[in-house]
Amino acid sequence: MSDIITFPDVVNWAVPFFIAAILAELLWIVIKRRGGRYETRDALTSLLMGAGNVASGIVLGFVAYGFFMALWAITPLDLGTSAWVIALCFVLDDLRYYWVHRFGHRIRWVWASHVNHHSSQHYNLTTALRQTWTGTFTFMMVMRAPLILLGFHPGMVVFVGGLNLIYQFWIHTEAITRLPRWFEAVMNTPSHHRVHHGRNPRYLDCNYAGVFIIWDKLFGTFVPELDSEKVDYGLVHNLGTFNPLRVAFHEWVSIFHDATQPGLTWRERLAYCVMPPGWSHDGSKGTSFDIKARYISDHPESAGSPGLTLSAKRK
Amino acid sequence: MPLSILLPLVACGIIGIAVILHLLGLSRAARLGDAGVAEAAWLREFPDAPPSRVILSQDHHAALIETKSGPGVVWAMGADTTARYLGGARIRRTAKGLRIDLPDFTAPHIRLRLDPDEAAQWPTHMKDSA
Repeated sequence: MSDIITFPDVVNWAVPFFIAAILAELLWIVIKRRGGRYETRDALTSLLMGAGNVASGIVLGFVAYGFFMALWAITPLDLGTSAWVIALCFVLDDLRYYWVHRFGHRIRWVWASHVNHHSSQHYNLTTALRQTWTGTFTFMMVMRAPLILLGFHPGMVVFVGGLNLIYQFWIHTEAITRLPRWFEAVMNTPSHHRVHHGRNPRYLDCNYAGVFIIWDKLFGTFVPELDSEKVDYGLVHNLGTFNPLRVAFHEWVSIFHDATQPGLTWRERLAYCVMPPGWSHDGSKGTSFDIKARYISDHPESAGSPGLTLSAKRK
Repeated sequence: MPLSILLPLVACGIIGIAVILHLLGLSRAARLGDAGVAEAAWLREFPDAPPSRVILSQDHHAALIETKSGPGVVWAMGADTTARYLGGARIRRTAKGLRIDLPDFTAPHIRLRLDPDEAAQWPTHMKDSA
């Protein structure tokens, strides 16, 4: 089995492009006076989160990669490294990304890691870099196991995952409104992903796609951006700090507080870790389902519209 | 990419972008134009708790909110705003206004720039409406 295969660390190599693109977007916004907003501390926090993500990858990357290599050692399959295999790996990894991302919004343990990406009230290219420091602790690396067991080399799986992340960088912008219809139909775009970052009840928990928006359409989680409802970016309860340490760890701290409060059953403690964000044992908080239901109750005319359909509320 | 290149690149990129943003005047705090704007900012965080009273700070960067569920504050978070109830808050006078310490990991310290009269009155309002 071919173990000595190397793929470029594409995310690190893309850093100069990230910096240049941020400066280009900023220039565009300043000159055109439209197409997005920047604020110093918000952008600084996002960039520091991105740097911390790279650092955590350097420090903790061996955990996931060790796991992948262990799987590679036991699988009898090896699909090789032809261009078609890499392309197939890219598509299947994007399907993997869809589910990891969906779990990231529906399982609080995973949300604790992902929440920081949604913690900015801005939506610009720096927001794309506001990435987790604690991804290793979600154990979502298991979602890559099927690809490796099917015979895709771990280096290739990590490589296409990097390409996926780089693709997602450019869609974090308000400078691009809509792209050609065929492109919007198949690919994840700035418009689709703006919706994903919305805190409007209608836009909660949808558009989980990485590269191909078809996964959301296939699994019933797609919500289009409506011209009639501007996206309000951020969290349901926005943070009151720019401190990157608090941004990175706040939901983990919150889980700890909730799960260790006195008088709970062990089932309730576990539920605080794995139920959707906003779940509480006494119903004192609200999940995205509750928020949507309350919104529909207050605005009955909105029932059945995108993001506020009965079936969409549970997703 | 070797760390010897990556680290300086990342450091220079972050510092450079932050400096450019600041020089472009993009560090200005959000301004709450009037009480209606402050109320809207509060409702954005707590849509089920309409304010019964809104007291806007002189500099329009914060507002004290009174609700049936207790007092709260809206304040500028960069170019945007956020809001919190003041349950469990420790409030102290500072040279520039008030410092509110909350038992909240996501908003542990709120520093409000208030003129001396406001800084004297706001803690009273906060207690009266609690």
